[in-house]
Amino acid sequence: MIRFEKASVTYGGGVHALKELDLEIPDGEMVVIVGLSGAGKSTLIRAINGLVPLTSGDVIVDGVSLRGASTKQLRELRSHIGMIFQTFNLVKRTSVLNNVLMGRLHDTSTWRSLLGWYKPADVEVAMQALERVDIVEKAYVRASNLSGGQQQRVGIARALAQEPTILLADEPVASLDPPTSHVVMRDLQRINRELGITTIVNLHFLDLAKVYGDRIVGLRAGELVYDGTGAAADEHVFRDIYGRSLTADDLMGAPEPQPASIEA
Amino acid sequence: MTAVAPATRRPAKPPRSRIVFVGIAAFIIITLVSVSEEWGIGLDIGGIIEDLGNGRVILEQLLDPNWAFLPRVVQPLLETFQIAVVAAFIGCGLALPISFFASRTTVPNRLTLTISRGILSVVRALPDFLYALIFVAAVGIGPLGGIMALIFFNIGVVAKLLSETVDAVDTGPIEAVDAGGSDRTQMVRWAVLPQVLPNYVAYSLYAFELNVRASTVLGFVGAGGIGFLLRVQYQFQAWSNVSVIVICLFVIVFVIELISIRLRRRLV
Repeated sequence: MIRFEKASVTYGGGVHALKELDLEIPDGEMVVIVGLSGAGKSTLIRAINGLVPLTSGDVIVDGVSLRGASTKQLRELRSHIGMIFQTFNLVKRTSVLNNVLMGRLHDTSTWRSLLGWYKPADVEVAMQALERVDIVEKAYVRASNLSGGQQQRVGIARALAQEPTILLADEPVASLDPPTSHVVMRDLQRINRELGITTIVNLHFLDLAKVYGDRIVGLRAGELVYDGTGAAADEHVFRDIYGRSLTADDLMGAPEPQPASIEA
Repeated sequence: MTAVAPATRRPAKPPRSRIVFVGIAAFIIITLVSVSEEWGIGLDIGGIIEDLGNGRVILEQLLDPNWAFLPRVVQPLLETFQIAVVAAFIGCGLALPISFFASRTTVPNRLTLTISRGILSVVRALPDFLYALIFVAAVGIGPLGGIMALIFFNIGVVAKLLSETVDAVDTGPIEAVDAGGSDRTQMVRWAVLPQVLPNYVAYSLYAFELNVRASTVLGFVGAGGIGFLLRVQYQFQAWSNVSVIVICLFVIVFVIELISIRLRRRLV
């Protein structure tokens, strides 16, 4: 379980990215965070794995308090929190498999990782992760030779290779076209449902949020302004989150996937 | 009625910077002062033309290389080549880990960074010639002194170039590896090294190129190789022999550079 207790983050320059946020996310939930750019979505996600330090308050992840956690505790915690990024953050000059194996580093000794001698069991975990996102045939291809959608699936596989209990996704489809966005979101949904991994996704597009968010959390200027089901989040709710009328730019606009293709 | 100024959002043209003119003027003045007899080196144009005549004899001998001398050039030339290879291998090998200590991407601690960059600046500040003088004095005349001088020279060059390349890597993969619970060494090995590896090999090849040239000069102070032979022939004023050495050097440097440029172009 993830619990925010009056968590605040203030950046240098006095920007209040999170203001005394209280939030509880039970195990196995799929939560979509929505809000304008600068509303604090990325900060919220990065507060969970300590990439952004808290200014005050606390975040407790699986019983571990992030406030005052040592470097060692933080590494231990991060080892079971996978993360997916808007810009994929792959090392483009190396193979897909090497990228996914980076998810196994937390369980690999320093000398083994220096030499690149991963244990066969770790290679197996990486291959299975690639199979889960249906891209295993690209294992030995250079990451730079993949399309955006393929690169993001490698990013998901890298996170899965950690065998995480929590998956954080920071705008995972913002650099992708609409059909590819649905493929990636369906991958995340499937992972959440089949493996029971708590999944927290930042999204900008409201229609995507409604389709894939079992629960939607709305942020505005670092404060929680909505917390409820995706079904209950109507136009009025979104107007409230965005603080303005909705425009076409707020919607991805691509047709929702057919039920049949969800099963595929 | 008062005339209303037209509303415009176009900015006024910013004034032209004077720094270029000041710079050029300063450069001209410093040059004039430097050649003046009173303040500087006292450059005497007439004297130069007169002296050129004395060079005629030397020039004639240089244009008539003594090819019988060639067999005596081969062995020292090979030694120069070997000095360059060994020094590049060790120096560039040491430069790789050192450069990760000198980049703010891989060392967030300011104090560590300042110290390691400071040491590198000192290493780089000493010219290769001075290293050779020091090491020849320390280990005696021969190739070992040359190798040690060039090792320091290579660390200075490669660590400088590589640490600046590390400064500029894509930080996305670093964040990703950090988020996965890896330690610093693992981060450097997997998120940074693959990004800079082609550059590193290119810089090492470049360092090797420089070594072949530098080891010639180093031979003058007794650090082994072709430079020593060159110095002896120079002192005997055996210009036809010097000519053979210079031609051989030119060929080997040219060929190595050609191969190196080709390899580097493929890498980056």
